[in-house]
Amino acid sequence: MSSPLPILPTTVIGSYSMPEWLERAKNEYLSRRLSRRDLDEMHDAVRKAAIKDQEIAGIDIVSDGEAQRDNMIDYFTERMPGVQVDQGSKRFYYDFYESVVRSKLATGTLGLSEEAKFLGRFTDHNSKISISGPHTLVKRIQNKHYPTEEAFALDLGRMLNLELKELVRAGATRLQIDEPYFSGFPEDVSWAFKAINAMVDGVNAHITLHICYGNRYGKPSFEGSYQFLFPAILEAKVQAVSMEFARRGEDDLELFKKFNVPFQVAIGVIDVKTNEVESAGFVADRIRRGLEVIGPERLIITPDCGLVRLPRDVAFSKLNAMVEGTRAVRKELGK
Amino acid sequence: MARRLIKTCSGGGLRPAEKRPDAVIVHINHISQSKKPKGNQRSPQSELASLVTGSLMTLVEEGVLDARLAPSLRIHLDWIQYKTNFRDPVIVRRTTNPQGQVLPLAEIAIDLRQAEASRLPEELARAVQNIGAGPESNGYNHLYLDEFRPYRDCLIWAFNRLFWRHLGDWEALSGKGFEAALPGGTSDANHPQAVHDSVADFWTLLRDLENRSQLPQEIVGLEIGVGSGARAAAWLDRFKALDAQCGTNFYSRLHFILGDYSPTSLERALQAVAHHGEHASGIPLDALNPEKSLTKYRFKLMYVHLTNVYDNLPFDDLVRRDGKLYLVEVRAYLNGPAVDRLTADFGLTRQELPGIVKKLLDEGPYAVYPGEKGVEFWRRVWDTFKLEERLRVLDDREEDHVPPGLNRTHLEDLLAEAPDDVRFHISRGAGESFANTLPLLHPRGYLQVQDIFVSDMDDYRKGFRGPGKLDGSLVTWVNGALLRAVGARAGYDVHFAPFPYRPGTKTSILYTTQRD
Repeated sequence: MSSPLPILPTTVIGSYSMPEWLERAKNEYLSRRLSRRDLDEMHDAVRKAAIKDQEIAGIDIVSDGEAQRDNMIDYFTERMPGVQVDQGSKRFYYDFYESVVRSKLATGTLGLSEEAKFLGRFTDHNSKISISGPHTLVKRIQNKHYPTEEAFALDLGRMLNLELKELVRAGATRLQIDEPYFSGFPEDVSWAFKAINAMVDGVNAHITLHICYGNRYGKPSFEGSYQFLFPAILEAKVQAVSMEFARRGEDDLELFKKFNVPFQVAIGVIDVKTNEVESAGFVADRIRRGLEVIGPERLIITPDCGLVRLPRDVAFSKLNAMVEGTRAVRKELGK
Repeated sequence: MARRLIKTCSGGGLRPAEKRPDAVIVHINHISQSKKPKGNQRSPQSELASLVTGSLMTLVEEGVLDARLAPSLRIHLDWIQYKTNFRDPVIVRRTTNPQGQVLPLAEIAIDLRQAEASRLPEELARAVQNIGAGPESNGYNHLYLDEFRPYRDCLIWAFNRLFWRHLGDWEALSGKGFEAALPGGTSDANHPQAVHDSVADFWTLLRDLENRSQLPQEIVGLEIGVGSGARAAAWLDRFKALDAQCGTNFYSRLHFILGDYSPTSLERALQAVAHHGEHASGIPLDALNPEKSLTKYRFKLMYVHLTNVYDNLPFDDLVRRDGKLYLVEVRAYLNGPAVDRLTADFGLTRQELPGIVKKLLDEGPYAVYPGEKGVEFWRRVWDTFKLEERLRVLDDREEDHVPPGLNRTHLEDLLAEAPDDVRFHISRGAGESFANTLPLLHPRGYLQVQDIFVSDMDDYRKGFRGPGKLDGSLVTWVNGALLRAVGARAGYDVHFAPFPYRPGTKTSILYTTQRD
């Protein structure tokens, strides 16, 4: 469903708090002590609860919380025709499977449209679905076929393009591509955006590109500055870019002023790598700093990254603070 | 090496092993071939072990050990790493339910390193008699100083604090420094080659990051628990020299932080590194929570080092027997015969002694007696100080034994890899410190810890790893497997390598690598 959004719309990056008991259940499933059916029931219950929490917090564009995804790689590689996954290569659900591509990727659906249908069934809010981007997937799938990483990424872009279109057919109107590995491999930027553009080509939806410094185990995987993205990012055919600022500070916001970006900008105002809950006032200050370089009609308010590593009460409180802080700024803007 | 023997212990000698109700489980821990003398002689350990089983048989034959008691009795023969420890040579451990009511399972534990053959049969007989007596029987005439408490809350920590607070007084009376009391007579922290290699590893990391243009402008290192500052000084000297030699210009970007809870130690250490000027600074910090004092360095530290800090932090002991999990609780006491000598030498009555010890712990040695006499009294009390143990069944809902920053899932991970029948540490202080240090690490930074680790849960079967006395402080093994579980959940693989610089050392080196 798509309905009008307020100014400074709030949204999440995708994942919501993963209950500890569900983590244990996922491990049990890997050990074959729990059936897929039982695990899916748990996933669905947690996804509904995640949607409800976001609605109660007042989030404008909600996700399903992604409880069904073990991590941002395996959920996709397991479904990709042509990618071989060693199912015995992990005991802890959050770890990555060993996966390898030995021949050209086949064309086939990943079955993500179920997520769009699920959201359509259980919320009447605006909603979004996130998908890991080709660059991130290239860095985790062992390549034994394509001559270069670029060639592999472009073919992944082609395959994921079909999936995005499937999602749109299933009712999705807002999609997000997650690329946390960009920051670790600045040298790849020239071809990484080509792969993004292959992925979004002809997709009739609002698409956001999320770039951060990683959030594995609730800690950054890389450090640095977003400077390496410019000016290449200006070529990305997306409607919005989403970046981590709360933890790192807002210095890099200046880049958006300097380069006059043609898309909306989603700024992270909630640090997802600490359990300390920001106050609404603190969030509002961060938004105000964002407004100094980006006009209110182009600014979207988000946490830095997914909330998966935060306890549920912390995640919920942070979302409440984010919404409250945003509302305070809207009021100042007379909206 | 561990051996489990099933001996039968009812009258009339050996019975067939399948008569389970009469079985006593005897654990003989830590049998080592290298300890056996040449020729046909048996080692003293072996002699003592056979004396125990022989004495047990006699006790059954004489009717002292009730055959009905046998099935719920276990005998542990330990060779304890620290000869000076908190156990009398023969002790009884009862088990209780969560409310403290005594249960049938009981253990007699014999420290073969302290036990004397001439007294062993008598002490064993007394232990057997005490199992049958009520829980408050005090058949040993101990002078109790406290109630039963978990290790984490017991009086050893008050003595430990006293030691570090009055280290100088203790050293003055003993005439030797604390480091001389260490097993090698010196601290492994300062070993020149270890420092040399540590610097080389760090420099290599920096060079790799620099080559990828990912080295931060400010390179921050941290040492927690600084001792005399000798290691930090040696490390910085070597780093500066290597940097100059290679022309990498890393030293100019380096900021090395020395962290310690003791202002005195910190001041002494800063003097040792004063020639490094602004490249070194000190900060008072609690080793249990370095993140609290160093919040601004979250995800910024490239290198963190600790030596012999974790082995002196609070812990608990858990025991799994027949599928049940027990918490070890201890009751502090002064050994009966030693109390008589102590009271006689210091002109005290037995009744006065607990109050005087409390005053010692609260106010220090000079509040008890003036001058050296106060310190001497402290040393004598410490020599006499022991812990009685009992095993209390853990209630399913109980969580107090779970260290701050950790959760039950960490323990479940640990128990999943533990032997069924085991006694092991919950190194709560080390776990808490570790969990609160990891968030400070830069994505490519690492933590390095030199200490005595039990790196595999299975190793707990091979010997008693409980606390020992080290001069006036205490030392205990650190559960490395627990740290591995904590690290895994925080995104780090934890590895253990032998400390190769001093032959025969029990020290090993923990280091972290980032998990994908």
